Amino acid sequence: MDANTPVSPGQPAGFMATGRGPRLFSGGGTRATVVSTVSTIVVLGILLAIFLLAPGARAVEHAFFNPTDMWRSFVGNPAKGYYSVGAAIWLNIRMFLVGEVLILAFALLIALIRQSANPALFPIRLLSTIYVDFFRGVPLILVIFALGLGIPALNLPFVSSQPDVVYGVAALVLSYSAYVSEVYRAGLNSVHQSQVSAARSLGLPQGTALRYVVLPQAVRNIIPPLLNDFISLQKDTALVGTLGVIEANKAADIYSETVFNFSSFTVAAILFLILTIPLARFTDRLIERDRRRRLAGGTT
Amino acid sequence: MRRFMVAASVAVVLGGGLAACGSSGGGSGSGSGTPSASAVSCTKSGIQHLLHTPGKLTVATDNPVYTPWFVSNKPQNGKGYESAVAYAIGAKLGFAKSDVVWVHEPFTSSYAPGPKPFDFDINEVSVTPARAQAVTFSNSYYPVQQAIVAIKGTPIVTKHSPAQLKTYQYGDQIGTTGLTFITTHIVPSKQPKVFDTLAQASAALEAHRIDALVTDTPTAQYMASAQLKHAVLVAQFPTTGEHYGLVFAKGNQLVTCVNKAIASLQADGTLTSLQKRYLGIYLHFPTIKP
Repeated sequence: MDANTPVSPGQPAGFMATGRGPRLFSGGGTRATVVSTVSTIVVLGILLAIFLLAPGARAVEHAFFNPTDMWRSFVGNPAKGYYSVGAAIWLNIRMFLVGEVLILAFALLIALIRQSANPALFPIRLLSTIYVDFFRGVPLILVIFALGLGIPALNLPFVSSQPDVVYGVAALVLSYSAYVSEVYRAGLNSVHQSQVSAARSLGLPQGTALRYVVLPQAVRNIIPPLLNDFISLQKDTALVGTLGVIEANKAADIYSETVFNFSSFTVAAILFLILTIPLARFTDRLIERDRRRRLAGGTT
Repeated sequence: MRRFMVAASVAVVLGGGLAACGSSGGGSGSGSGTPSASAVSCTKSGIQHLLHTPGKLTVATDNPVYTPWFVSNKPQNGKGYESAVAYAIGAKLGFAKSDVVWVHEPFTSSYAPGPKPFDFDINEVSVTPARAQAVTFSNSYYPVQQAIVAIKGTPIVTKHSPAQLKTYQYGDQIGTTGLTFITTHIVPSKQPKVFDTLAQASAALEAHRIDALVTDTPTAQYMASAQLKHAVLVAQFPTTGEHYGLVFAKGNQLVTCVNKAIASLQADGTLTSLQKRYLGIYLHFPTIKP
């Protein structure tokens, strides 16, 4: 990985040198397959041995990986004081889906305002800059508390009487839009000025040029970092639990503190992995497809 | 490749063997805990080898801690019921006040597996059979009743028949038996809101996000009279046999001596007088059915 490491000729090159990028299971000949298989077995064997040889292995296994506790926390039993982690993850999924759509729209708006050159928009541009600086700098959990406890305390009609989840998702949208708007901006900047000039010289008005020439290219460039942010968002939905909402992590926590066993967190972790891994692999595929298309020299 | 396979299988066998050793060692430790405990001499010198720090009694509690269990968030001042009980147990075991050392231990890590950085944890932890599989509890040092805290003038203050109690939005701190009481005894129609700290649950109560919370009577009365401006202790529920116990690492034999100390504090009236002194003014409230 080190840039200074000399690569001796004759040695098979690492993936940095081949530029194969993120493809996980692509081939490289029989020898490569054997080497990778052996090294995988060695690494897993060492990790397993450490886990099994540790003096507290049994205690850890019981506390974190007990199948009985994992099943009980997965199905839940309110009569015994805990709720189903499996049912609670559905709330995380809904928060994520709603949040994602709102973030995509709101962040684009912020990015476009910040990129606009119109002098009349200066006040909004200033506000957007302050907004991005502020929400990127403030810890998300603080935003969740501020909205979730602050807005109801204001005692406003309608606004103050929403369910806690609404304030939680609003906080996620506010915070993540600040990050995502910067991603959008990077995408907009990555489109060469000549593209705009060419579009305008064809007689397209500025808005149309933006809509049909700049944005499609910009968005294509930023799909990997966008999906990266959304994987992060999936996990951060767990923070909404601090408002008292019983989402997956909170349900796991309730189980853990009721029976003094942490296996419920393992269940929550597995459920979050099931959610995020497909998205991560999808991102890899998009990156790969995009790379191939560009190297092929095709236009679209 | 084959050589590796052999090495790996050796490692696995070794690992399994050692893990089995570890478990049988631990098993014999806790299994023989009761019979060999009678051999433990409960004098200060007799329990030295059981202590986390020789010569010191290391007691853990959460941070912050609240009245009437502790006073001014200072466990070291000997004031408040739990602080006084810890020092009284220490005295019975032969520890001077200066030999009792306090450490902070968040509730969640108090029951994590592995060595514990304390001899026992005193933190209003209710004893349940499920929890006793993960840690060792002492005998009871306080029998608990649960009570309702609500905001003055809200419906629950006057309307709390068993059927009416089911209709309210409850909230509570995570991991508390107050929360368990809500889900198992009140069984409300709306899912309770579950907060990480009692302070957050109180904030939700004050913001009218929840109608009521349930906690032990002394804590409830302290919240209603001192911490929250507009709160009131509505009523308490009959006892469910719930009680607080000290938390020890699973199989820690020191518990035998501590239990003896608690028994003698119970017999000589120390516990009763400490309860009267620190909790007495909190305990006269109407009892209602859940």
